[in-house]
Amino acid sequence: MRRILTALVAALVVIGALTAVAVARGGDNSTVTRARLERALPVAFSNLYVKQAHVEGRHDITPKSLHAKAMCDKHGPDVADVGPGGDWVCLMSWKDPQVPMPPEGYGKFELNVHSNDCFTAGGPTKLTGYLEMTAADGRTVTNPVFEFDGCFDPTGDNTPTGNSFPSLLSVTSTTLTPKQDGTVDLGLGCGTGAEGCAGTVTATAGHTSLGTVPYDMKEEATASLPFPTAVPRGTKEVTFTVHPTRGVASSSPSVLPVTFG
Amino acid sequence: MSRVGVGAALRWEVRKLRAQLRARAVLVAAVLAPIPVVFILHGQSRPPKDTLFGRFALENGFALALLVLGFASQWVLPLLTAIVAGDVFASEDQHGTWKTVLTRSTSRGQLFWAKTITACGFAAIVLLLLTASTIVSSLLVVGHQPLTGLSGQTIPAATALKLVTASWATMLPPMLGFTCLALLLSVWSRNPAIGIAAPVVIAMVMQLLGSLGGIDAVRPLLLSTPFEAWHGLLAAPHFTGPLTQGALVCAAWGAVSLLGAYLVLRRRDITGG
Amino acid sequence: MTEQLAVDAVGVTKSFGSLRAVDDITVQVAPGEVYGVLGPNGAGKTTFLRMLFGLIRPDAGTIRVFGRTWEKDGINVLDGVAGFIESPKFYPYLTGRQNLEGLALLDGGDRADRLAEVLEVVDLTDRAGDKVSGYSYGMRQRLGVAASLLRDPRLLVLDEPANGLDPAGIRDMRALVKRLAGSGLTVLLSSHHMDEVEEICDNVTIMRTGSVAFHGTIEKLRTMAPDPGYALSTGDDVRAREVAGRHPSVAVTTDPDAELVVTGPRDDVAAYVADLVRSGIRLDGFIATRTPLESLFFMLTDAESSVEGAA
Repeated sequence: MRRILTALVAALVVIGALTAVAVARGGDNSTVTRARLERALPVAFSNLYVKQAHVEGRHDITPKSLHAKAMCDKHGPDVADVGPGGDWVCLMSWKDPQVPMPPEGYGKFELNVHSNDCFTAGGPTKLTGYLEMTAADGRTVTNPVFEFDGCFDPTGDNTPTGNSFPSLLSVTSTTLTPKQDGTVDLGLGCGTGAEGCAGTVTATAGHTSLGTVPYDMKEEATASLPFPTAVPRGTKEVTFTVHPTRGVASSSPSVLPVTFG
Repeated sequence: MSRVGVGAALRWEVRKLRAQLRARAVLVAAVLAPIPVVFILHGQSRPPKDTLFGRFALENGFALALLVLGFASQWVLPLLTAIVAGDVFASEDQHGTWKTVLTRSTSRGQLFWAKTITACGFAAIVLLLLTASTIVSSLLVVGHQPLTGLSGQTIPAATALKLVTASWATMLPPMLGFTCLALLLSVWSRNPAIGIAAPVVIAMVMQLLGSLGGIDAVRPLLLSTPFEAWHGLLAAPHFTGPLTQGALVCAAWGAVSLLGAYLVLRRRDITGG
Repeated sequence: MTEQLAVDAVGVTKSFGSLRAVDDITVQVAPGEVYGVLGPNGAGKTTFLRMLFGLIRPDAGTIRVFGRTWEKDGINVLDGVAGFIESPKFYPYLTGRQNLEGLALLDGGDRADRLAEVLEVVDLTDRAGDKVSGYSYGMRQRLGVAASLLRDPRLLVLDEPANGLDPAGIRDMRALVKRLAGSGLTVLLSSHHMDEVEEICDNVTIMRTGSVAFHGTIEKLRTMAPDPGYALSTGDDVRAREVAGRHPSVAVTTDPDAELVVTGPRDDVAAYVADLVRSGIRLDGFIATRTPLESLFFMLTDAESSVEGAA
């Protein structure tokens, strides 16, 4: 009995010591890094994307011709881009003559990166399709790029890739409800990207200008932008035009319906 | 009386092992168990996507063999080797036979090495049988379609067979590491139950520690980490850094465990039996 | 050059924690001698024998077996030495023969051809193919002797070989030990039965709580022995006590059961009994209740008493 207890205590001491060493050395020693992901993800994706094309009967692309490039980020600007977790986001661009990139120039992938240097990535369905797809011969098969696994070398190249994509500013409000003084707030979201989003938004309700308001946001942040001028009663919709100075935004104006409370 | 080498003691250990029901049961299980596992996995309606290669396991025999590998390495392999290694010293305490064998012409050191070699050899044979049975049944039940690797690359069947076999073979260093750990626990605890169960518990705790974020510095030092070093073989270009590092880690664990076991056995007073 | 001792243990000491199991013991056994180590359970006999076999390391003192030491010669100390400590233990899942085969392997394999012979000596030939798990205590004890004989020893160490056996088993085992002792082997026999040792041993060491209480020949022990005691029942106890008056060296008392107890030197007691018969007193029973050596053994090993000059 004494031996069993000693064994348990010894095991706990060893585990405790190892953990203490780990904590002392800090969490930045993880082999899961931004640079390694930015190198591994495009490789796996390109191979699988071409495989998908082959299933569809296309043979006009190769992994090389895609020129896939990724920029990865873990949990927003305030968290170091290192370590395993389900909060990695990678922006990736590639060249497929038949599937053009959206205006911002990339698709957004969500990654669950494990401590064993492997990851599971889910693609933007608009660009990569859904779980199942139709093959050239009409069969329904699993889409290889809807969700895929990959692993990277934990001792692989860890120098920064320099890949950079701008943040995408999006309008998060779907309707407008004027406040008591008749003014409105516009919800904005700034996506993952290099530098965040800045610029101005101009709002017009019919012929009335509601003003031009500047915004400056970090990546992966949301903001509520108040416009100084009240919306005239009876206005059905308001048009917002974004002029980004940092980051990108849709060039076509957003038109939101107004409901008076 | 002629001085006896390790060879005679080794033959005696092997003979005892062959007479042990438990050891024979492990060998039979290593051959037969993968077959129902493969059938059950193949019969699932949804692929087990949580595990590497799980998403292809229903349609690709190589992927299924690798899925089984990922599962086996969590605690099955440590258990299979511990059943013999955790018992090989402690059973002498259990049967009170230390005094019987140590009053012949074989030294403690020779018995130690004979038992160590027996346990390591048994681990290698179990792994060989398990590997062969899993791969053969996976390929027969599911098929040998080209495999999608861990860089999304397509691996032709012939290459895939080599890589899957090699991946299974990389289980040997950590399995031997756990064998040595079980030997240490067997010598030290003098209790077969601890010798067998403790390595399995340690394997699971290490697995858990290794999967936690924030203590990444410890991860490469754990004996369970080399169980995942085969991932590099399935990537393109393949990488073997973790395999080399894993082999070193296993060698260190093994050497320290064996040294500890040897010293404990050499210094110990045999008062029981 | 003097003859090399089979066992030359000098000043051997071993403690387990605060318990001194063996305290400064010296045992020297000449070749060809049959040597007894006597003592009650817990006296340290087994610990001493374990140290002889290298199973336990002494804290102090030296042990030489045929001139070899553990420090210098390692396992070679046991060349020509065989025996068992406490009850012999075997692998229960193997047969008796398989156990012996394995031990023969550990001996170097050159004695394997003697398997049948030693099984015959201990009368286990018929059961050699059965698993040891099905053996009785006595059979295991005999298998232990067979395992020892397999080594063709010059020195045979037997620790309480008759312990735990039934009366028939004790008889057989003693006969076996006697036969082996008569064959010219050096035998080191431990026991807690005086009569077992008395019959066959030349020299004895009597141990008490880790240290030596007596050391010397059986003859020397006999001279120190007190008078033997006998239980006497007669047709006329009153007259029997009167007759005792004519034998001053014989004491006749009455024990709590109102039986007569006679003590005195063996020859004088015999004369007294002859006198009783001559006097026409009917003799209903005359039983030796305690041998002198047994009496002495109990005196020597009883922690309360001590014998002057015993060692």
